[in-house]
This record gives sequence, structure tokens and C-alpha cells, in this order.
Amino acid sequence: MKAEIKLALTMGLLGGVVVFLFGGWSVTVLGILIGVFMGLSIGGRVNKKDGPRKLALQSLSTAGIAAVVFIAVSLFQNYVVAPAGGQFPSELYIVIPANLIGGLGMILFTALTAALHGLPDRQERLGKLILMVVLVIAFPFIDRITGLHWSGQIIFALIFVILGLGLNIVVGFAGLLDFGYAAFFAIGAYTTGILSSPQHHIFMNFWLVIWIALAMAALWGLILGTPTLRLRGDYLAIVTLGCGEMMPIIFRNLTNVTIKEPLTCWIIPGIMRLFNSSAATKCITIIDNLDLTAGEKGINPIGRPYLPFIGEFQSNNPIPWYFLIILLILLSVFLIRRLRDGRLGRAWMACREDQDAAVQMGIDPVHTKLTAFALGAAFSGFAGAFYAAYIRGIFPSVFEFSTSIIVLCIVVLGGMGNINGVILGGIIIMGADRLFLPALKDLLKGLMDHTILPALTSNHTLQAVVAQNANPILYRYLLFGLTLVIMMALRPEGIIPSAQIRAELHADEETSAVEKAVKN
Amino acid sequence: MLELIEVHTYYGNIHALKGVSMTVAEGEIVTVIGSNGAGKSTMLRTIHGILRPKKGTILLEGEALEKLPSHKIVERGISQSPEGRMIFPRMTVQENLEMGAYTRKDKAGIAQDFEWVFKLFPRLKERINQKGGTLSGGEQQMLAIGRAMMAHPRIMLLDEPSMGLSPILVGQIFETIVELNKQGTTILLVEQNARMALSIAHRGYVLQTGEIILHDTSAKLKEDPMVQKSYLGAN
Repeated sequence: MKAEIKLALTMGLLGGVVVFLFGGWSVTVLGILIGVFMGLSIGGRVNKKDGPRKLALQSLSTAGIAAVVFIAVSLFQNYVVAPAGGQFPSELYIVIPANLIGGLGMILFTALTAALHGLPDRQERLGKLILMVVLVIAFPFIDRITGLHWSGQIIFALIFVILGLGLNIVVGFAGLLDFGYAAFFAIGAYTTGILSSPQHHIFMNFWLVIWIALAMAALWGLILGTPTLRLRGDYLAIVTLGCGEMMPIIFRNLTNVTIKEPLTCWIIPGIMRLFNSSAATKCITIIDNLDLTAGEKGINPIGRPYLPFIGEFQSNNPIPWYFLIILLILLSVFLIRRLRDGRLGRAWMACREDQDAAVQMGIDPVHTKLTAFALGAAFSGFAGAFYAAYIRGIFPSVFEFSTSIIVLCIVVLGGMGNINGVILGGIIIMGADRLFLPALKDLLKGLMDHTILPALTSNHTLQAVVAQNANPILYRYLLFGLTLVIMMALRPEGIIPSAQIRAELHADEETSAVEKAVKN
Repeated sequence: MLELIEVHTYYGNIHALKGVSMTVAEGEIVTVIGSNGAGKSTMLRTIHGILRPKKGTILLEGEALEKLPSHKIVERGISQSPEGRMIFPRMTVQENLEMGAYTRKDKAGIAQDFEWVFKLFPRLKERINQKGGTLSGGEQQMLAIGRAMMAHPRIMLLDEPSMGLSPILVGQIFETIVELNKQGTTILLVEQNARMALSIAHRGYVLQTGEIILHDTSAKLKEDPMVQKSYLGAN
């Protein structure tokens, strides 16, 4: 009973925090999401034999408490916080239905999800799958109807989910620490930029380019991996760091590419000069002064995908983009699962566990690590191509070290080696970065300008300084860092860890448990 | 079956094997005894392709092995139960055994070999879903040998299977080695425990600071005064 109340309060407040920032209709969306999440969490501690109806009824009390907390926070936001931030509270005709649907939605979906746990295993899994599919499909439409406009930012989060999935192959499965993953993201994006933009007057179809980007990223994974993967552990990390730093600099400077055919330009004239011959040969220049990447100003506009019935994807309509990235994620997850469960996946894990032992089993370590590197890179090609088309323009600064680190954070936070964990990690980190922090910034700014600062001091210079620094976006890397430190201290295996990595990190506890069992 | 001709191996500047020559015939148990640092494990690692000989040849059925990478050597039919066991601690017993069959693709054969391992080591079957790292020392040694069996080798290299085990367990492990040999696997056994090794081997070599100083049948080696003094602890 105590655990249930704790869960209800946590969930109610968690949803409340988000609603606190966004206000308006967000209460509805959050209510439903939290409901599903709560239903899933309750599942861990129920008695399956009770059957769906009893479980649903049992969950009602928890859901009810959570909903009350949640709506209380929502109303507090609307009538106290919003006016303090200089905004008008939402009108009653929005407040009443939004909170009503949100609260009831939370209770309904908690009960529904909790009831699923009472079904036989296969039906339970099917039910959860259907629920997820419905939510994923319904999200952009609800988002549009309620006017929240989260889809555009959620798409960014989903791009990073693909990057996380790719890096998870390298870091999570094969155990190779890669600090330069953004390099492959850049290669995917620049391949797309070069092959479908006015920069070179090449306008290839997006549906073709995305595969070329995938292949290019994989190819560069091989090229960068071949010399570096002979190194182990820390050394590999340092070299990948270097490769990652090189990429944006290379793309920044490929503005004047000239390729001359060596035989006619240097070798033959050189020989001629040896014999003091003045006979002139014609130097064949293959590429002359080509501006490949347009340097700092980047390539734009980049071609967009086109589909019959939908037409060309537009920036003001995120729905087709949303479904495209969802499809790409599904494809990636499908492929990555096949890889993980196959021969190659076992070889990756053996190399991660103990490379010397893996060699004695007949595993070729270089081949194994190289495929992990190349396949991991390939998925970032997907992400890069989508990103380039979605933004319509690419710039070298996007692909710097910080991007590699964010992707690494996603993998570590979500749970190394676990596909679902990485998806959740991507949504949490990028959701925080793209949605949560900007909203927090607006809220703080409103509060500062209208309530706190006037009450605090009348000195205008001081007011301006405080207002400027009360911007959480300035501290985003600090916050990421803090999150990582806290995660490493409290739950180093990530939110949803893979069974093996959990065992790795808690090996001492496990052995001591076994020792205890033996003694008894 | 397996033949080493004048094999020299170095660790950097250290000359670890100084022209080792030996043969193992099909169906034999051959043991190499020697003290710490004599080069026993180096020899097995050289045969297995983990270390490269600087000079000399290693022949399996007349084919040279010394240029092949280790994973190819496993495919040729040599597998090893390495020194210190080196099992995968975070994988289950089942997964560890599956890793042993990594180079094989014949599903039916692999299933048969699972049965073979479990028949020889019923203990492993009881612990099939337990993590390798949580097994006891003796069970880990069984797992290391079982894992080497899963490659269905023609010749198995065993590196100090007695290390860190109680005398009773050592006895059990050596009984299974004999059983394994009776079922047709050729065995090259490297041991510090010379008494046990010579009691089951057909022939033995004595390795001292990287050189073979003596080789003979086990029975004769046991009688040899030098062996008795240095390796069997007789006064």
C-alpha cells in the first residue's frame, strides 16, 4: 500500500513538473502518458492470477491519488504561476476539459494498462504492443489538435534515438568506447547535402540518397576503424576523439578541392626535367577548384522527400516527417535485433567480455570490432540523411564533439546494450534539451521579469544580470554532466539495463549473494 | 598428428622458447611438465596462433599452422582450455558452451556435442543457466574443458587444469581427461603437477627455461632421477 502511494505521488508530481512548464492542453497529453507509464510500473508487483478486472480495480486507488496531485499542480500552474509570470491564465473553457480529460485519461489508461498484466503472457504482450502503436500513431494528431507543437522537437529527439541505437552497437554490444560518433552523422548528412542540393546541381531522390548516406557512413566507419581498432580501451577512446574532432574541420575546409592526375602532372614532367627536355605535356586536372562543402555557411537548401498523395514534405507540417523517422527507427530496431541475436552479436559480446578468450574461441577480433564500428556508423547515416533533409541545411558546427557526447549520454543513461533503454534515453535527454529547457527558460524569464526581480531589488543593472543568468539553456551541458554523475552514482547500468551489463556492474553483490546461499 | 620443429618464440626481447621440437601422435595424451616460467603456456599459445614463432614450423597433419591467424587454427581442429580458465564470467554456462562452438555451423553436431559435454560433466547441466563467474573453481575448470570440447577438436590443448583445485577435484578432472582421450580426442596437457600428469599421459616432455631437456614415456620419466628430484619432490 505504501509503495502504491509513493508511486502515485511520484508519477503525479513528475507529470505535474512538465505541466508546470507548458500549461494549457499539455495536461491532457501528459495525463494519458503518465497513466500508461504508471500502469506499466504497477505491473511489476501484481499477482498475475488476479485477472484483468481485479487488477484494474486495484490500480484505481493509485491512479486516483496521482490524478488528484497532477490536477492540483496543473491548477496551481494556471492560477498562480502563470499570472506571476505575466501571462493570463487559460480560459475556463480550456481549463475544464483539459484537466478533466487529463485526469480521467490518467485513471483510465492506468487501469487499462494494469489490466493487461492480468492477461495470459501472449495477450499481454500483444495488448502492450497495440497500446504503444496507438499512442505513437495518435501522438502527432493530438499534438496538433491541442496546439502544443511538440512534434517538431520530438522529431529531433527521434533523430538522436537512431544515433543512440547505432552507437549502442559500438559501445553497448561490442564494448568499444567511441568519442567521435558525430563524425559518421556528419558524413551521412553531408552525403545527402552534396547529392541533393543546388551546391553541385545534383538533385537525387531522397529515397535513394538515404541508402547512399548509409553506405558512405559504413564505408567511413571501415576507413577510420581499420587503423584505430587495433588499439584497446583508453587508447581507442582517444583516437576516436581525434577522428571526431577532424570531421567538422575537414568539412569546414573542403571549399577549394583540386584533384590532378598524378602521372601527367608530376611524374612525366619530372622525368622530362631530368633529361632537360622542354617538351610540354598537358596536365590532366580531374577536379578544379571545387567548392565541395561550402565551408562555414553550409549547404542549403537540401532536397526533401516526396511521396505520392502527401507531396513534398514541408517544414510547417511535421506529421509526415514524424512517421518517416518512426519508420526508420522501426527498421533500425529490427535490423539491430537481428544482428544482436545472430552470430555476429555473440562475437561482439564475447569480445566485450574478454577479448583474449574470444580469440581462443576462434573469433577474429579485428573483423568483429570492425563490423561493429561500420554497422554502428551505418545507422548514423540514416540519421544524417534525415537530419539534412529535415533541417534543409547542414553546417559543420552541428557535428562537433558535444554531439558525440550527447549521443554517448543517451546510450549510458538509457542503459548500455539495451535497445529499449536507448530509445527511452534518447527521448528523455533530447526531450529535456529541446522541450523542457526552453520552456523552463520562458517560465523563469516570466517569473523573473514580473514577480521575483521587482520584489528583490530596484537596481536595474543587477536585475538585468540576474535575468540574463537565469537561463537554464546556458547550463545545458552542466545539467547533462550532472545527470551523468548522478546516474553513475545511483544507477550505473542505466534506466533499462541489459541483463549482462547489470551483472557486470553488480558482480560483487551477485557473488556475495551466491556465497551467502552457499553458506546457508 | 601435431609436430613442432625448432620453434623459437619471443616476448619482445625475451627468448621464451629456444628451439622446441616435439610430436603428438593421434590418440595420445602427451604432457609437458616444467616449473613456473619454463615456457609451457607460451608453447600452447604459440601452437594456438596467439603468439607468433620467430623461427620454426608447427605442423598439423603435415600442414603448416604458424602463419594462420588463431581463428583459422580453431577451424582446423585445435582448441584450448586456457591457463586461468578464461571463461566468460557474465555469460551463462550455456552461452559459454555456445561460444566454444563459434566456428561451427553444423547445428546437429553442436547439439550432439552439448550432450557429450553434459554426459562427461553432469554438473554443468545442473548449472546451465548460471553465470560463469558465479561457478566454483572446479566447475569453472569443467566449463573451460567443456567449452574447448564444443569446438569438437581433433587435438585439445589443456593448460594447467589442476591450477587452484583441491586434490579431490584434480583427481576428478584428470579422470575425465582420460575418459575424453578414450573417446578419441588427442590431448596435449601442460602441467606443473607432474605426478598427476605423468600418471595419465602416454609420453612426456620436460621443458626447462624454454628448452626440451628430456623426453620419454611417462613410465620411464617417473623413474628418471632428475625428474624425481626436480618435479616429483623425491629426496
